Amino acid sequence: MESIFRYRNPDTAGASGGPLQGVNIAIQPNVSVEGWPTDAGSKALVNFTALEDATIIRRLREAGTAVCGSTRMSEFGFGLDGSRAGEALKENAADVEMVLDLMGESRLAASRASVCGFKPSYGLVSSLGLIGLIPSMECWGLLSADIDRIRRVLDTISGPDPLDFSLPDEPAPDFSARGIKPENTSIGVISEAVSGLSSDSKNAFQASVDELKQAGFSVRELSLPDMALFSLVHNIVGSVEASSCAGRYDSVRYGRRAPGARNWNEMYLLSRGAAFGTLVKSYLFQGAYFQFERYAAYEDACRIRARLVADMRKLFDKADFLIFPAAVGGRFGQAASLAATYEQFAATLFANVTGQPALYLPPAPGSKAAGFQLAGPRRSDARVLALGEYLLNLRQEGNV
Amino acid sequence: MEFEAVIGLEIHVELNCATKLFCDCPNRPGDEPNLNTCPTCLWYPGAVPRLSRDALEKASLLCLGLGAELQPVSAFDQKVYYYPDLPKGFQLSQAHCPLSRGGGIDIMDETGKPKRLRIHHIHMEEDVARLVHEMEGRLPISLVDFNRAGAPLVEIVTEPDFRSPHDAMEFLKALRTQVRYVGSSECSMENGTMRVDANISIRPRGTDQMNTKVEVKNMNSIRHVGDAIAFEIGRQSAAVKAGEAVVLHTRLWDPDKKATFMMRAKFEGPCVPDPKVPVIELTAEYIEAMRSRLPEMPAARAERFIAQHGLTGEEAVFLSSDPEVAVYFEALIAEGVAPRTAMHWLTTQLIPAIRERGQKPGDTPVTPARFAGLLKMMSKDEINANAAREVMAHLFESDESPEAIVAARGFAQVSDSAELDSLIDKVLEDQPDAVAKVRAGQNKALGFLMGQVMQASGGKANPKIVRELLAKKLGTN
Repeated sequence: MESIFRYRNPDTAGASGGPLQGVNIAIQPNVSVEGWPTDAGSKALVNFTALEDATIIRRLREAGTAVCGSTRMSEFGFGLDGSRAGEALKENAADVEMVLDLMGESRLAASRASVCGFKPSYGLVSSLGLIGLIPSMECWGLLSADIDRIRRVLDTISGPDPLDFSLPDEPAPDFSARGIKPENTSIGVISEAVSGLSSDSKNAFQASVDELKQAGFSVRELSLPDMALFSLVHNIVGSVEASSCAGRYDSVRYGRRAPGARNWNEMYLLSRGAAFGTLVKSYLFQGAYFQFERYAAYEDACRIRARLVADMRKLFDKADFLIFPAAVGGRFGQAASLAATYEQFAATLFANVTGQPALYLPPAPGSKAAGFQLAGPRRSDARVLALGEYLLNLRQEGNV
Repeated sequence: MEFEAVIGLEIHVELNCATKLFCDCPNRPGDEPNLNTCPTCLWYPGAVPRLSRDALEKASLLCLGLGAELQPVSAFDQKVYYYPDLPKGFQLSQAHCPLSRGGGIDIMDETGKPKRLRIHHIHMEEDVARLVHEMEGRLPISLVDFNRAGAPLVEIVTEPDFRSPHDAMEFLKALRTQVRYVGSSECSMENGTMRVDANISIRPRGTDQMNTKVEVKNMNSIRHVGDAIAFEIGRQSAAVKAGEAVVLHTRLWDPDKKATFMMRAKFEGPCVPDPKVPVIELTAEYIEAMRSRLPEMPAARAERFIAQHGLTGEEAVFLSSDPEVAVYFEALIAEGVAPRTAMHWLTTQLIPAIRERGQKPGDTPVTPARFAGLLKMMSKDEINANAAREVMAHLFESDESPEAIVAARGFAQVSDSAELDSLIDKVLEDQPDAVAKVRAGQNKALGFLMGQVMQASGGKANPKIVRELLAKKLGTN
């Protein structure tokens, strides 16, 4: 069977004495590491080797981690088709995996591997060296069985980067552990996020909600009437951004130039036609359609996105955290079309639209509950992780 | 039917920043090809743009210098097109929210009446790579030089207020002067630091309809802009009279054939906001700080020269059109040179001499102090104008003071009457015909005799005293 690794690092030694010494991290080939093949899973980047290290790679090495290699990924990390994310953890080949999260990939990969998966707040981690597809939605997610490891890695890689001006002008967040007290912590359930579930999934989700109640949290039912628009907004804005930003993947300087072109226009058409896979190609086509034929619809989607962000923020006046199911519909391995892909990620992509942090927690072994997501307002990453850790500890103590 | 033209200009100005717009690579497009490149300006995957503060400031100064209103919020967009000069498939440009809106330039129209030509907006954008087309044996090849990729540009987009080639040329001359004043660019069309596209349409005179425009590019001097507009007005008028439709397209000006030629159908799609370049928010303090850095602008300076130094309007405009010349002029006055002497010697002697040597008023070895020394010796009658011109030439060659040059090379004026007396007597003796003519009242001959005396003195005689002595000897006064 094909290796889960796209590239294995022959020299895994990090700086000695660092706070993350002994932590073994697997990345994806969309993180720039000087000299490593960084094709982001696409033929459009065949033969491309990064010229400089991503800021996060420099920080990880300085902290003493061993970056053991990059795992096979879907094209540009879009969807999980062809991705082996999560398998390095299952095989004990890594302690933490870094997986690009454009619409929920890191959280669903965690669900597939029965580990925790965390998508941080947008703008928390430097994007220098990120080879992606949807700049305003994507960021690196972290997978591990151990939430404390996720927290320590995030503490290492987050914070202002003088080389990435796109980070908001905010101080580095404080990741020191904070106690969670269930008696004064409320968790909201958005009824519209649950209404689309099958009755089996509904029951499993209800079991997760019951776990929170048993732990002493107050659970509140909340409403976000336009919940269904998240998918539409992500689809339109994401595809337009992808189509415009993927213009650089023209197979001229790297990638494979298609033979037989009579002029450079034909060279672009033939090379780009041969470079992209079906799913990404249809996404780029859709984006170009909205940009050039339906620009007003794109502008509407941007406005609706701003409203959704505001609506979501208001929910945190009523609850400290939100709980979401991890999957609504769709199954792995069947997401060859855009519609099927969006169905598969319908429960997770809200956090990419809003930029808020979201943590996937696997179900307790043997429980009839399903895995679920916990979300907080933007930059509440430390608290979301603390809540997840609190629940895992309760399970270990056998209290739920 | 009589037609009038409706013309708007799009002017790209390359800012003279030390670095490119989004990275720290040197902004020196003329270096050895592809020397000044990095992952950001090659637009490699994973690279992020970092907006240069210097470029933002130079662009802000340029906007303020043209009377434009800096916008509190502006942002970069992705302008999508596929061409080998743009390897990332989009150009970063401010399509939706430009850096400034409004502004304009006052010119005189053909009839001498003042006319305001308005600016619609000014935005920042990055330059693209330079393509070089060559033959490798019999195979045509295209080479790409990324030194220019990512260079900082501003684009000045005017309102369609222009009606003639004259309007366009006057606007461009004034624009160039004002941008040089604020120090943001050299604005040389010849060197490509100012590039002009003209959008031209025609309509029946007296109507206010807006017809399909044609864009003309590739003019590399202000004169060519005028020529291309004049040609295009003629071409479109003839086409409309012949019943042909004008379609939206781009034409290239061919300076040899003096005509425009069809280049391509124009394609423009809407631009998508760039998710990685932060939105630019200018605070009131920033805008005020920029405003306080603005120098005195040419129109204000010319008015002051008229009021303060008694220059004519034409003289004042000439001296204030180049900031280095204006500064030089005022330095001479500060050294104690009379304004009219300074103006006259600067415009007729020193500036041509400086240009001839490929220097600039700001960096010539003939500093205002040295040149003022020379002019003051002349006004004290220590040397005459002929000698002053020669001493000026020596000032370029050596770093001696003008006084030392005069002393060492014997340029001192001869004002000694006894010495001049004998010179004049000798000339009068040698030129009896001229003497006879002067006595018969022909003043031209007096000038001839003056010239002979000056020549005999080796150019050093004081012409005032020579004239007096000659008059006395010939009894002409």
